[in-house]
Amino acid sequence: MGHLIGKEYCLDHLIEVAKSIVLAIHKAPQITGKTKIEAEIIWGGDLEPIIEVMGPVASVMRYVKWDYETIKNCYDKGESPVIIAIGGKISSSNLNWNCGACGFSTCKEFNAYSKEYKGGGQLGGPSCNWKVLDWAMACDWACASAWQYRVDNRIMGSVGFALNALGFLPGMDAKLGLALGPPRDMVYYNREEMHKSMSYEMDKRDMVSCVPTMFTAFPGGGTPMYKTKDDWWAPPEFMGVGYSPEVMEVYQQVLFEQVPELVVKHADKIAERYKKK
Amino acid sequence: MKKYVEDLNFCGEEYVGEWTPWSPQDIRRKKCVLEAARLMVDSAFTAPFAGGVPSLEAHIVYGQEELEAIARKVEEIAHTQESWKEPFLYEAVMVRDSDVVIFLGNTRCHETPLDAGCGMCGGTLDCGYFYEQKTTKHGLVDITDRSSDKMINGPLCSARVGDLGYAVGSALWTAATLMVDARPFASMGMAGQKMGYCPNSGMVVGVPVAAKAKNPYVDVNVDYHLINMDKVLDNTRKIYQTARIIRGFDYRKWIPKPQKPAGEDD
Repeated sequence: MGHLIGKEYCLDHLIEVAKSIVLAIHKAPQITGKTKIEAEIIWGGDLEPIIEVMGPVASVMRYVKWDYETIKNCYDKGESPVIIAIGGKISSSNLNWNCGACGFSTCKEFNAYSKEYKGGGQLGGPSCNWKVLDWAMACDWACASAWQYRVDNRIMGSVGFALNALGFLPGMDAKLGLALGPPRDMVYYNREEMHKSMSYEMDKRDMVSCVPTMFTAFPGGGTPMYKTKDDWWAPPEFMGVGYSPEVMEVYQQVLFEQVPELVVKHADKIAERYKKK
Repeated sequence: MKKYVEDLNFCGEEYVGEWTPWSPQDIRRKKCVLEAARLMVDSAFTAPFAGGVPSLEAHIVYGQEELEAIARKVEEIAHTQESWKEPFLYEAVMVRDSDVVIFLGNTRCHETPLDAGCGMCGGTLDCGYFYEQKTTKHGLVDITDRSSDKMINGPLCSARVGDLGYAVGSALWTAATLMVDARPFASMGMAGQKMGYCPNSGMVVGVPVAAKAKNPYVDVNVDYHLINMDKVLDNTRKIYQTARIIRGFDYRKWIPKPQKPAGEDD
């Protein structure tokens, strides 16, 4: 006897759905049959370090900002998404296929290189590309499984960066995060949480910067004007390309100061969790 | 515009069966698999891709001669490297046992990378690992020299390779949903790429598909390239005929019968 009303139980059930999705992750087919995959389900207060690390990156990277604000807004409203961290051990090859996809002639050479440079990229790396395929298939099965449960979801490199920086799934070389729920339509697509965070002018500026060919005037002169406003010819505006110390300074601050500070704040506690296991 | 003419003569029958191979009933069964393969390819195209960028191409291959050619290419590749030899020879048998082979390739991993500085290819904070090993001008990769002493002309953008993995995963998810058997293979992918399938791709994965009583891609025996259903059948043909000719009687006049127990009369 009993009845369930409201959304509270749906949020609880998201965790059960996440467990089923993890089953699909481990069931996903592999090409090599030799790629180690691990997954971890994170929700509630344990999302806070991830959200915190995404914060400064969001200030310099638009797609991270969108992910960050969506997850943070949901969390702040008490509608915590559930994140599945999906890791793959892909930075070394035990295949001995010597196929060349990594850029080296032999797996042995790749492994020697990887030993030196492992983990240097924002999302890990270097990678055996056959193992990338295996790991990506596991991530894809996670997404497909989530859709089968009709739970809004999105696989996120932005969360993967935070997982990597904070030391989640320590044995894994590459990580992505699958954000699930809260239970409603279009959390991560169309992004209702982001309404009013982007002005018309900002959208237009973005388009001119990112898709300049759409706004390029007659290029025959060699220095085309750009249609940055309705009366773009009066006075005309031009685009320039150059090194930006300001942009680079902000990147450096985020990557080498702000993120490491947050990592120091949380990493020990997160590492402790794995020691217990 | 051509108007769709609906066939309202809705009646008929289709006999479908797995035996004998390439019989009308078997070909009808294969056509069902082809429909499944087409849906699998649709799923592959809807897989999540980094930045939503289209980067997938597909080839669907079927037919006795076509699959035989793929199998032979897999066998050829098998003999180029010791670590490939045994598994790839087994997988050539699987090609012959398939109804359809799908090739999925990524058209950007070798030429137009994600350029996001993710570091997955070389473990660095930029895309230098990829570009420094390619012939480029202003970040534009010149792929016109397609010669390579390696099976795959790497390095590749691993983010794009990841996109290919998503595509293959989605195709396989649909196969599982439709309950047709399918698995992803490197051997078939490399063979397909060398044969010119997915011609614009830097990396190709082969996904054979079948709908038979026994899944062709699992539960194989040792020396599968020597002992498999085709070989068993051929050996039966080899042995049984000879077994027939080493005995002789005119069945119209006399057929040997089991010996009666002692005391029983004819």
